[in-house]
Amino acid sequence: MPNPVKPERSVITTCAYCGVGCGFKAETYGGKIVRMIPWKEGKANHGHSCIKGRFAYDYYMAPDRVRTPMIRASIADPWQEVSWDEAFRYAASEFKRIQNQYGVRSVGAVSSSRCTNEEIFLVQKFARAVLGNNNIDNCARICHSPTQFGLAQTIGAGAASQHFDSILQADVIMVVGANPTEGHPVFGSLMKRRVRQGAKLIVIDPRKTETVESPHCKAEVHLAIRPGTNVATLDSIAHVIVREKLYNEAFVRARCEVAEFENWKALVGADRYAPEVVGPMVGVDPQDIRKAARLYAKGPNSTIYYGLGVTEHSQGSTGVMCLGNLALACGMLGREGVGVNPLRGQGNVQGGSCLGSWPHVFSGYRFVTDDATRQSFEAEWGVSLDPEPGLRLPNMLDAAVAGSLKGMYVVGEDPAQSDPNQNHVIEALKNLDCLVVHDLFLNETAKYAHVFFPGSSSLEKDGTFTSAERRVSRVRKVVEPLAGLQDWEITVKFMNAMGYPVSYSHAGEVLDEIARLTPAYRGMSFALIDRLGSVQWPCNEEAPEGTEVLHRVRFPRPNGLGTFMLTEYVPTPERTSNQYPLLLTTGRILTQYNVGTQTRRTANTVWHPEDVLEVNPLDAALRGLKDGDWARITSRFGQTELRVRLSDRVNPGIVYTTFHHAKSRANALTSDLSDWATNCPEYKVTAVEVVRIAAPVSAAEAVGQGVSTLPKQLEPA
Amino acid sequence: MWSELRGLRDGVDLGTPPRDGVPVTLEIDGIAVTVPARSSVMLAATTVGQQIPKLCATDMLEPFGSCRVCLVEIEGHKGYPASCTTLVAEGMKVTTQSPTLKRLRQGVLELYLSDFPPEELEGGWSEFHQTMQAEGVSENRYGWGQNHFDAPVDDSNPYFLFDPAKCIVCSRCVRACAEIQGTFALTIAHRGFESKVAASQDQPFLESECVSCGACVMVCPSHALVEKSLFEGGYYAKPSKT
Amino acid sequence: MMAGSTKDSEVMPLERIIVMANQIGDFFAPYPPERRAEGVRNHLRSYWDPRMRQQLLEYIAAGGEGLAPHVIEGARLLTDSSQAKPSYYGPPKA
Repeated sequence: MPNPVKPERSVITTCAYCGVGCGFKAETYGGKIVRMIPWKEGKANHGHSCIKGRFAYDYYMAPDRVRTPMIRASIADPWQEVSWDEAFRYAASEFKRIQNQYGVRSVGAVSSSRCTNEEIFLVQKFARAVLGNNNIDNCARICHSPTQFGLAQTIGAGAASQHFDSILQADVIMVVGANPTEGHPVFGSLMKRRVRQGAKLIVIDPRKTETVESPHCKAEVHLAIRPGTNVATLDSIAHVIVREKLYNEAFVRARCEVAEFENWKALVGADRYAPEVVGPMVGVDPQDIRKAARLYAKGPNSTIYYGLGVTEHSQGSTGVMCLGNLALACGMLGREGVGVNPLRGQGNVQGGSCLGSWPHVFSGYRFVTDDATRQSFEAEWGVSLDPEPGLRLPNMLDAAVAGSLKGMYVVGEDPAQSDPNQNHVIEALKNLDCLVVHDLFLNETAKYAHVFFPGSSSLEKDGTFTSAERRVSRVRKVVEPLAGLQDWEITVKFMNAMGYPVSYSHAGEVLDEIARLTPAYRGMSFALIDRLGSVQWPCNEEAPEGTEVLHRVRFPRPNGLGTFMLTEYVPTPERTSNQYPLLLTTGRILTQYNVGTQTRRTANTVWHPEDVLEVNPLDAALRGLKDGDWARITSRFGQTELRVRLSDRVNPGIVYTTFHHAKSRANALTSDLSDWATNCPEYKVTAVEVVRIAAPVSAAEAVGQGVSTLPKQLEPA
Repeated sequence: MWSELRGLRDGVDLGTPPRDGVPVTLEIDGIAVTVPARSSVMLAATTVGQQIPKLCATDMLEPFGSCRVCLVEIEGHKGYPASCTTLVAEGMKVTTQSPTLKRLRQGVLELYLSDFPPEELEGGWSEFHQTMQAEGVSENRYGWGQNHFDAPVDDSNPYFLFDPAKCIVCSRCVRACAEIQGTFALTIAHRGFESKVAASQDQPFLESECVSCGACVMVCPSHALVEKSLFEGGYYAKPSKT
Repeated sequence: MMAGSTKDSEVMPLERIIVMANQIGDFFAPYPPERRAEGVRNHLRSYWDPRMRQQLLEYIAAGGEGLAPHVIEGARLLTDSSQAKPSYYGPPKA
């Protein structure tokens, strides 16, 4: 065995996978990346890493990365490789034609949480300043939009109240609808470290996840509720806190709107939320609800971490409000070791939320309807802006089906695979006159595209990411972009081709513009981040080096007080029936990342070659299913086929799968239901039936033809 | 607060985790140094640039005291305590370099060397190689006796391999898996000369509970655990464990 | 799927608009009557594309069948300029 080569150069950058935002040193040898080493000074990871960030970076040089821009007049035509200039000219002429023919609001744009802050900001600028409407959304819509809404309503800021290290001061850790050891592994390790030191763990999740029990880490209470019953369960926990007077009266009097607290007490204190009533309905022992409530209220430091198991429901925003209410009532905000913290799925979901990629708010969550805010953007951008909210991503798709939306610019996002009710999404995309896809790969959505802009991976560009703990870290270019342009440059050139003159000499100038226009980012700059390593917003005159813990003195609401929302439980219309007697819920696995665009192109497929359906042995026996059998899963919206794994991680009546592989088509099943406030899709609850089949009728072939999404050698056997 | 995590510095290995505590002043080779209470003598020495050689200690892991390379002399203390497991005390006087210490350390390092593949000394750049170089140890007086040179490489994991021939059984990997990652997949199986790093029930890494976080590879001082991507044109493996 | 009922003037399918409006109504249902309506109004004003609001109001003008009464009441407040609070955002005021 020879000695390994010694890397010649190393560049400090930020992982592009989950929302933990680990710092890495990308080491190169002979101009190629040969190793990613976790950065010891990374404030989120302190030298630790997980398999994805540490090892699964090879996708950046996958053979099927697109290297040349392409256009075609119709999706039935083959792609035609063209120059960048020709691609920009064609896309711009189509968008202008559509707007002339169908009106200013007939086109829209979507960005992604895999984009840098600078790219996200530019794409919304493209929509608002160049297209002249507010049809701009980003994929946080389909994961954490309820977080922004629900937390803003109660505690004033739709972001994590803490930094990750804060958990080392926690005595009680409540994890709701999240599985950090798989989904946010580096944070999961920190959490387990704290549990080993003696903190108590409460997990609310339909599935007995890896977080519930692992070596030297076991949940004190696991509420294995039926999918879709979060609000009832959390209201019942609140009921116990109210009836047993476990709330922190002094905190509420000093820091909250007391009248609203009284209204809330009346609602959750009602008999219908007693654990003895709610327990049987949600499928857990009433005593466990009481135990969870008492543990959380007692603290002394109790903290909440939650994930998409809270948000991706028709009552997603209400669920988030429940968490805000609980933390306020028990005084678990405003210091270290407490708080309410969303675990964000993608590297830059928080940035996507902060930087105005929403149809109703500019960067910093300020409404487009607000004249003063709008004028500040008009002054900077030199154009007049639409004062009315635009369409959200699901509404854009509805509008495309209805024929009122004709053009879309989709950056780093794959709605055809990741959005719910897949058949409806495909119908929408097929209906567009011009779909511009800007991505690394010809993804599922690109099958319906007319223009393809080959993007740059996070190893090939400069910018910043904002992690789940509000931490803004630098993304630094390690190698040259494969197709020649960094993503932010592509969007700028598209703006130019549309006739909007703007130029930046480097990505840092975009961050400077963000800082000028966004209060929480006022003090941010590449120079500051280079000096400090990373900076948590708000970063401004009062906090020139950023802010670790929010809400220490006041809540960012007009009167400075936290408030309580009335969180009545409204059952989802998605219910089991004789025809669809099981509830399907979804989650992730450690080695794969979301729809797998990156991780499926790495050796990580060794661990997870396919998505499987977890079925409780009782349900399996009723259906004659054995471990390893193929099954057809049918919902009201579609069907797909998966291999079955018998597992007692799920209770009878519940089935579970991951959604990492395109051919699994989990979203062929999911419904068109969505959160009442934000339209975040209800991915987590779908009524299904599962039937044994002899062999799969290759589900992959059922979704569009002609384009291979994976290089042959990586196609799972 | 949280100095164990936040006090870590890129490119610097303090040897043992940084601590929070009241300031304690001591002397290292005549140089006064003030560090937080509960810090190790090793950390205090590193702080003032008096690097003490070490193999099993690293600042991301709790000290373990197994390699016996980091020995020092402390005024008023008997013997040669390991600087990684000895905590600082007010007024302590520490000597990190002396002819006796040099001789003791060389003796230990030569023992390590006697079971390290000789053809892999040249061109190596691991901490183990650097330590040997810094301490001027290039051959050993014990000769090449019984050894682990032919132990099969475990290359089951797609991303890293484990070459037991290069393993010095310092337990850094075992401790990283427990302390940092919290998976507890690794252990030292057997005793004495038979001691070896084992994943789960002595299974190939890929089949074990290992979650491939890379923490063990990060802390391995001898490139026994090493990224496959660092081998240009691939690595050649001895018959692998099946 | 949903396409069938779409008319040329509609930005999106009407069934969708009705479902979404009623969901908003469900959330505000536990509030006292005037706050209930105001909550619905503020939400529609701050989050809905004007064409979606217009579509809802036209449907209400045509009878509004299937919409909860406080949803209709809240939506009607949209046309009352004395209720305009362009930058107001948040829970219904006490």
